[in-house]
Amino acid sequence: MNGGPPQNAAFMVAAYIATAVILVTYAVVLIRRKRGEGP
Amino acid sequence: MTQGSVGRWITAVALVLLAGIYVRALAFTPTELMQGPAQKIFYLHVPSAWSAMLSMGLVGVASILFLVLKDERYDRFAAASAEVGTVFSLVMLTTGPLWAKPIWGTWWTWDARLTLTLMMFFLFIGYQLLRSAVSEPGLRARYAAVVGICGLVLLPFIHLSVYLFRTLHPRPIVLKPSAPSLPPVMLVTLLLSFGVFTLLYVGFVTQRYAIGRETR
Repeated sequence: MNGGPPQNAAFMVAAYIATAVILVTYAVVLIRRKRGEGP
Repeated sequence: MTQGSVGRWITAVALVLLAGIYVRALAFTPTELMQGPAQKIFYLHVPSAWSAMLSMGLVGVASILFLVLKDERYDRFAAASAEVGTVFSLVMLTTGPLWAKPIWGTWWTWDARLTLTLMMFFLFIGYQLLRSAVSEPGLRARYAAVVGICGLVLLPFIHLSVYLFRTLHPRPIVLKPSAPSLPPVMLVTLLLSFGVFTLLYVGFVTQRYAIGRETR
């Protein structure tokens, strides 16, 4: 046992990227829809 | 300035502030010793769950107001809030398993909290499917309002599920009767993130409401 925190940064990075992708995508969808282009 | 452009400005400011939350959480908030970096997922997961529940709560309140007052603005607001709530639920249901895998050793477990939040996500989806399936506006608004009120009824069960049932999910650390059980630096990051996600909700709903008004 090394006593340090667990090495699981990849999960953190994935969560931060996924959150940004979902929220920015929705912001873009709203702008496109306003212009009559989106779903 | 139109309502839509106000919404876009609020969203833009909220997204910039969200970038600030990323910097604060990743670079200036200490790593928790037991859980490691994965604990920092908490600064996105909990506020996204808050925004999803806020969305559902306001869908329910607007649905009641629509049924009582027959004012179509409440129906339009409920539709906007439901769509935005779906997005925040998606964030919640993405970040949750990404935290659970390294901490619990599994992506998902059918415990009460997780199952009820998944039900809320399905309610959001069902609400929108119902709206797209009924073409007569008055009927659509009434049917949708009933689903919205069901969502409102679900919320206390979601919040209290960790007390009512034996679950793996951690109990609330901020929204509880006693003082928050977090070191101040982590608590400030979490509270700032709550603020940013709430602002993002306001920005999204303002935009979506304006689109709904133009396309009615």
